[in-house]
Amino acid sequence: MRAWYHCENVYPFVPQEVLDRAESVRASLPNKYCDPKIAADLFEECLDEHLLCDELGVNVVSIEHHAGINSLYGASPMILGILARQTKKVRILSLGTLITVRPDPVRVAEEYATADVISRGRLEIGFVKSGDSEMVSGNANPVGYVERFWEAIDLITKTLTSHEGPFSWEGKHFTHRHVNIWPPVYQRPHPPMWAATGDLETSAELGRRGMVNALVLRGPEASKRAFDTYRDARRDAGLPAPGTDRFAYAALCYVGETDEEGLRIGSKTLWFLNTSLKQSAQMSKFLPGRMPPEVQAQNYRSQPRQGTVRRPADSLIGITAEQAIARGILCAGNPDTVYKQIMEIYDKVGGFGHFIFIGRSGFLDHQEAEKGIRLLAKEVMPRLPAATSTPAVEHAHAAE
Amino acid sequence: MSGERLAVGEIELEVVRHGAGRAIVLLHGFQPIDSAARFVELLARHGEVIAPSSPGFGHSERPEDFDTVYDLVHLYLDLLDVLGGGVTLVGFSFGGWLAAEVAAACSHRIDKLVLVDPLGIKVGDRETRDILDIFNASPEEVRRSSWHDPERFAPDFNAMSDEALVVYARSREALCLYAWHPYMYNPQLPRWLGRIKVPTMLLWGESDLVVTPDYGRAYSRLIPGSRFELIDRAGHHPEIEQPEAFAERVSRFLEE
Repeated sequence: MRAWYHCENVYPFVPQEVLDRAESVRASLPNKYCDPKIAADLFEECLDEHLLCDELGVNVVSIEHHAGINSLYGASPMILGILARQTKKVRILSLGTLITVRPDPVRVAEEYATADVISRGRLEIGFVKSGDSEMVSGNANPVGYVERFWEAIDLITKTLTSHEGPFSWEGKHFTHRHVNIWPPVYQRPHPPMWAATGDLETSAELGRRGMVNALVLRGPEASKRAFDTYRDARRDAGLPAPGTDRFAYAALCYVGETDEEGLRIGSKTLWFLNTSLKQSAQMSKFLPGRMPPEVQAQNYRSQPRQGTVRRPADSLIGITAEQAIARGILCAGNPDTVYKQIMEIYDKVGGFGHFIFIGRSGFLDHQEAEKGIRLLAKEVMPRLPAATSTPAVEHAHAAE
Repeated sequence: MSGERLAVGEIELEVVRHGAGRAIVLLHGFQPIDSAARFVELLARHGEVIAPSSPGFGHSERPEDFDTVYDLVHLYLDLLDVLGGGVTLVGFSFGGWLAAEVAAACSHRIDKLVLVDPLGIKVGDRETRDILDIFNASPEEVRRSSWHDPERFAPDFNAMSDEALVVYARSREALCLYAWHPYMYNPQLPRWLGRIKVPTMLLWGESDLVVTPDYGRAYSRLIPGSRFELIDRAGHHPEIEQPEAFAERVSRFLEE
């Protein structure tokens, strides 16, 4: 199994009374509350954590979120560029540039190809549909974003795999008259592609395309539903069954020397759920296009009817460490405990080949983060089962 | 809910029809027109009110790839062809934008034009937003800005049926699709408003904070010979908050 270190580079230093007063800690919180000198220190620490991962053989994730305390990584390609140059061995996953809010996927492909070249083929490309407030801060129409998501992926894929001179693209959401990027991508036909989603229709399409399906903070039940849907979609399409290398599970995770230490420090990551998810109603439950009107309608009631589907994030706010562990959102304890927690989830979902651990958040500091990374790399990672691989389609045909 | 349908080319629209005589076509704002609204009944004394729900709004299906104001404008140009000449066109808010576009393109099909707190143009400088961003403002601010008397007139979501709430959410989604960017206006429209050659009246709720009366005055200046009138004690929806005053102004204008 591959382990991936995921750090959102959060900014927890805004006074609590400011956060309590703010209707949203994303998109609309004035940036005067972010001290660029502190931000510089945070970047240095987080990037150093990625370099430690490189020493220890832990792969790294570069994420992107916009305009809020939940992340200072507003421009994933810039971070990718740094990681591509400064790490030497591990794989680098972008999860990911927000293609639903970027106006030009060709430019995204160009940035990815550059990072792939700088890293000499260590890039993996993950796509995310992006969160609610990011439609606002990214100025992107939230209605129709799924369609835009897939068209962007198609255009990026074509851009990365075209080597014989310019092609043109006149799609519904994107047009580009002359596509011919330099440098071309290092890995052929293109770097492995991922997407983070718990939406079942999207998982099915990922299955048909053979992309890695990552579930971030969704817990084993939702993850299993997505992975099962992925498998079913491949079977229905006559494609070979996926190995575990197509499935990724992401949780908050901290390994301490003792259970007490692991839980005490690991609990600090819950800040991400309890503090950094606060978004105003107009940027979340009332934003059109993020859920079908039949579902969204109930949000208008001050007391939605029972059985109303909630946004996954809503069910995480206010969660305790015990609840988070029980729900597979947090793994924390000594190495044995964390190993058991991961394997329990592994068995519940039917296996996964990638474990993404969010090892730093909130007030969990740099020294603590590095200690947790070392313990995970040395004491837990070697015991995790190897991923099984997915047969390439060509091989499957040859075998028939 | 009348349940009536109106075919425009291959597109079927939900429509409210009331009264008889000259066609008074109403293009709705953020939400479709309620068949039971008092102002509909009052207008129907002067002709046949025809109030379609635009594709994606109310119970009107939205055809695939029908997703721009360009589509809506051509749909309503088509509707004018279907109805023949002599139509009175009344547009509210977002529908006022559509009515202005239709009138600029095809004023020979229209007898008279009434724009009620219309959107559709940019008046202020690049750092001044003219129109409240209803997708990015708090629900409380939208409520406060939309109504002179929100306590009395703002929708009470808790009292609405599940079906009505779904229609509300569906209409909001359609509005967002059409009008997200640029937000609620066409940068080119002011240039062409001078093509409107029919008698035109702009009515404005005096307390409208979604889009203020000053915006309305600027709008009126761009339409040759148009007149601008305020309706007291009304916000963005004077037809709902002051139906009698609203209908009285319209009927006077129609009879001139």
